This record gives sequence, C-alpha cells and structure tokens, in this order.
Amino acid sequence: MKLRNSIKIFFAVIRALFLRELEMRFNSGRSGLFWTFFEPFIQLFVFIAIHVLITGHSGKAVHARSYDYTVFLASGFIAFNMFRHILNSTIGAFKANRGLFIYKQVKPIDTVIARVLLQLFLTSVIVLAFLFIGFFFQLANIFPKDVAMVLLGYLWLALFAFGVGLLVAVGNTFFMSIGKFVSIASFGLLILSAVFYPLSIVPNSIRNLLLYNPLVHFMEFIHGYYVYGLDTHFVDYRYMLIWTVTPPFLGLWLYLKLEKRIISE
Amino acid sequence: MIQLNNVTKYFYTKVGKKYILQDVTLTIPEGNIGILGRNGAGKSTLMRMLGKIEFPQKGRIVSENSFSWPLGLRGGFVGNMTGRSNVKFVCNLYGKNKEEAHQIIEYVKSFSELGDYFDMPTKTYSSGMKGRLGFGLSLAFDFDYMLIDETLSVGDARFRKKAKEALKKKIEQCNVILVSHDMKTLSQMCQTGLLLNNGELLYYDDVNEAIEHYKEINKKGK
Repeated sequence: MKLRNSIKIFFAVIRALFLRELEMRFNSGRSGLFWTFFEPFIQLFVFIAIHVLITGHSGKAVHARSYDYTVFLASGFIAFNMFRHILNSTIGAFKANRGLFIYKQVKPIDTVIARVLLQLFLTSVIVLAFLFIGFFFQLANIFPKDVAMVLLGYLWLALFAFGVGLLVAVGNTFFMSIGKFVSIASFGLLILSAVFYPLSIVPNSIRNLLLYNPLVHFMEFIHGYYVYGLDTHFVDYRYMLIWTVTPPFLGLWLYLKLEKRIISE
Repeated sequence: MIQLNNVTKYFYTKVGKKYILQDVTLTIPEGNIGILGRNGAGKSTLMRMLGKIEFPQKGRIVSENSFSWPLGLRGGFVGNMTGRSNVKFVCNLYGKNKEEAHQIIEYVKSFSELGDYFDMPTKTYSSGMKGRLGFGLSLAFDFDYMLIDETLSVGDARFRKKAKEALKKKIEQCNVILVSHDMKTLSQMCQTGLLLNNGELLYYDDVNEAIEHYKEINKKGK
C-alpha cells in the first residue's frame, strides 16, 4: 500500500515537473522555441555549405565508399545536440528548481529526470520533423537502415547523458567550477566526437586517440546503423557499457549522500 | 500528534556548533500550536523539519499526520513561472484532476486579489504579493497541520484581516502550527505553545503561559 503510494507520488511529481519545463519552454519567448527546432537545420545548412565548398559537390556521394552526407549529418547532429542539451540542462537542474524543494514530494533527482525526459521528447519531435521533410522531398535514404538499432543508439546515448549529467549536477552544487568546465568542454566535443565525419576517413594515429572519447562510439553506432554504406566496426560495446554504467552509479551514490543537503541548501 | 525522539539539530557557525535542538524528546498532542522563540532560535528551521525539507543530524520526528509545506515569506515559487502556472504545478504535484485544478486556480486567483499579476512571472511580484499567492494556495489544499511562518503579516491591513478570517475558518477542519512575533495573533489562533530557547524545546498546554515565559526570557536577554 505504502509502496504503491510512493510510486504514484513519484509519477505525479515527474509529470508536474515535465509539464512545467515544457510550459517554460513555450513561454520563454519565441527565441527559445525557435532555436530548439531550427538549431539542427542551421547546423546542417552550414556544414553542407562547407562540404560543398571543399569537395565541390553536394552531399550525395563522398569518397570511394559512397553514402548520403545530408542524412549522415542530420542523424549525427540531432544525436549530438540531444547529448549536449541533456548535459547542459541537467547541470543547472537543482539550482533552477530550488524554489520547488519546499514541497517535500519533489526530490532533487526528479528535476534531473524530468529534464532528461523533456530533451528526449523534443528530440523525438525534431526527428519526426526531419523524417517528414525527408519524405516530402522524397530523399532516398532518409529512413534508417536499422530502425530498432538507431532507436537503441539514441536511448543509450540519452542514458549516458543522464549519468554524466547527474554526476555533474551533484558535483556542481558543491564545486561550482565543474559545471562551467563541462559547458566549455561540450563545445569542443563537437569536433572530437565524429559528429560530422566518419572515423574511417581519420588517420590511424588520430583515430586511436579519438576512440578514447565515449561519444565517438555512440556517434559511430548511430551513423553505422542509420546510413547506408557505413558500418559499426570501430564501435566498442564494452567501452560504451562502462561509460553508461559507471557515471550514474557514482552520481547516484554521491546524490544519496548529499540529497538532504541539496534540499535544504 | 507529533513525536520527537532524541532530535538533535545544529548549524556550523564561525564560533562552533549552534544548536537549534539538543537531544529533544517530546510528544506534542494534537491542537493549534504557536511557536515562540527569539530571533535565530530556529523557529523556521523547526518548521522546515516538520515539513520534511530540513533534516535533523540525529533522532527522528515521527507523525502519522500530513503537513503542508512550510508557508514562509519567500513563497516557494519559481520566479520565471507565472502565478497561475505555479498554482497549476502544485495541483499536478498533489495529483489533482483537471476539474479540481480549475477550481483551485479560480479560488487562489480570487483570494489573492492579484488581478492581472496572476498571469505574470512571480519574479515581478512584491513580497506581499508572493505572500498572498502562497497563502491562498495553501488554503486550497487539505492537511492535518498547516505550517505557517509569519505569513499572516503580509499585505495591507485589509488583506491581513481577510487572511486571518480565512485561516480561522480553515482551522475548524485542521490544525495550525504558527510562527509569529505578534502575541495577539498567537493567543487568538493557538491553544498550545512551544518555546524554543538555547537548544531546548518546551511544551505548554496553554499558549498564554508560553507567551509569559517567552517575555521573561526576552527581558533577561539570554
């Protein structure tokens, strides 16, 4: 009886927080909503423009192994944006919702979960928009090679982001600089994460270094299962698993130790 | 009924530990309770502990009753949400359905007399407006104990009177735990009293006794 009750409360809290975040998104002026949906389009436009300038031909065929560069970019950027947004929004989750901890039902970790769910929701809307546009213009390879695996890739990436985000959010409450460091680092990650290039074109020595970045594995995973003409043979599943299991456990352990302090801050 | 078992609560200050409660064991019977204590004695902290958003270092506070959130001057609102969406949020939190939520929103809107401000972000509110919104909101929900921290002194004289009337009506169905520096309010609203002094918590069957004792302590200045 008691357990059922607390599960019910948990879902009510998550729902309330999710709706609040969504409403704030819509009310934060046009700019907030505009950027949410146009960010990937602008990124796509810029990178295709650069690509055309360098190679002299549009996104249809690249190098010897031909694949659709537009679809490649879209699937990479949407996934990378999701990761970045989850990380950035969870870092500030405790601080932004501090006023709500006066209600004893609201546990700090709920605010992190709600923000992750919101980003997942926004990402799925963006994905649907892309698919719709792709169908409308009859782009040939807009649909993924393996839908289930791509879905798994996105969800797995979200889980990874949640773990890192929780860890940083807890850390950020007591050591301010961690959040700033991560915000800056996440900018550089765009270049180092195989978002807009496949690992197969990277020279061997650099590739071995890049493979230490867990995000590279996620990107290769998603690209490999989305885009025709690419594969996933650089992906190390064990490495991905380590990175998805360790941060949330560490984060949860720290969180449970510090939960009361975060509430009464 | 509220039970405190060996409860210890302290804060670290520059000169060492500052005790709010020092190994307090006490059973507080049901009733409207006024909390007294000098500034910094920890009245608000005690309220927050009863509301389960602040936690003692040792011991437990046990009760089978439900408590409201501690209704303080600061509100418990998020600045960039409107008054309306703050109210909506609390309705969602307590699992109210659409119809109930609608009723609560209308009630809070008319009680708080915020007018157009009800649909503006709460960061644009004055502290009196925040207090009015918070007070109206807490009246719309049912608890065994209402935790009210100084909020009866918000707004102008007319609103204060209205708030007092509303609270009087509300405490026919529930109990109130009240922190106030206004002795008249305390003796009007409460029957029993708690006095917080130097880490001790004393219970009085009659709130007026507590007030007398409090005045004595205040005179001595320690």
